[in-house]
Amino acid sequence: MEFTVLFLAIVIVMLIAWRGRRPLALGLFGALLIACIATYLHHATDTLKLSF
Amino acid sequence: MTQARAITLNALSLYAVALVLAAAYAAQFILHELPCPLCLLQRILFAALAVGPILNIRFGPRPSHYAISLLAAVAGAVASTRQVLLHILPGDAGYGSALLGYHYYTWALIGFIAAIVLLAAILLFDRQFEEDHAVLPATGGAFAQTAVWLVIALTAANVVTTLLECGFGACADNPVVYELLKHAS
Repeated sequence: MEFTVLFLAIVIVMLIAWRGRRPLALGLFGALLIACIATYLHHATDTLKLSF
Repeated sequence: MTQARAITLNALSLYAVALVLAAAYAAQFILHELPCPLCLLQRILFAALAVGPILNIRFGPRPSHYAISLLAAVAGAVASTRQVLLHILPGDAGYGSALLGYHYYTWALIGFIAAIVLLAAILLFDRQFEEDHAVLPATGGAFAQTAVWLVIALTAANVVTTLLECGFGACADNPVVYELLKHAS
């Protein structure tokens, strides 16, 4: 579900970047990037199986 | 580099992002390989790369617009590096099929690194940030506008297909069916 929301959020950011106010687009992009990093950290809990 | 040329290059970069998103769809629909959670995150970060060029086309080239694409590229490189490391063990077949010898996440890592290098290269050209009083077409002209709407349409399509794949719960680690279509049938 979180990925659907992230895709929806990026569409909204793109539309605001194209039609809306620049500071709003930049601010929302920042929030989106933080949400992406949080999602990455949430999913990056598996042990890495390195070959060394 | 003039502003007009920089805007053309930004439009071309949007076509490149659209090509990546279309290629991901080709694997999903032709090869029937559903994207895993990390794959979806990499798609989102490829789409995020497009916000900087959209701002450049609308408001003119600015270093801050390139900076946000650079941040998205670094985040994408981190996510794809993790997936490469998850399958680095000898004997591991990797996730999904390979294209020209590399899996999609390896191509994604190459793509994000290429984006970082290209963004750094275009930032070398200072003249694009100066007002050159050239009469530019409104919002970049038809070539740029088509690129913008193509990327927005492909990203919007991903909203629908991701909802179909993951449903309203957490996405499966190794998805093989569309959750919403499974419940519908």
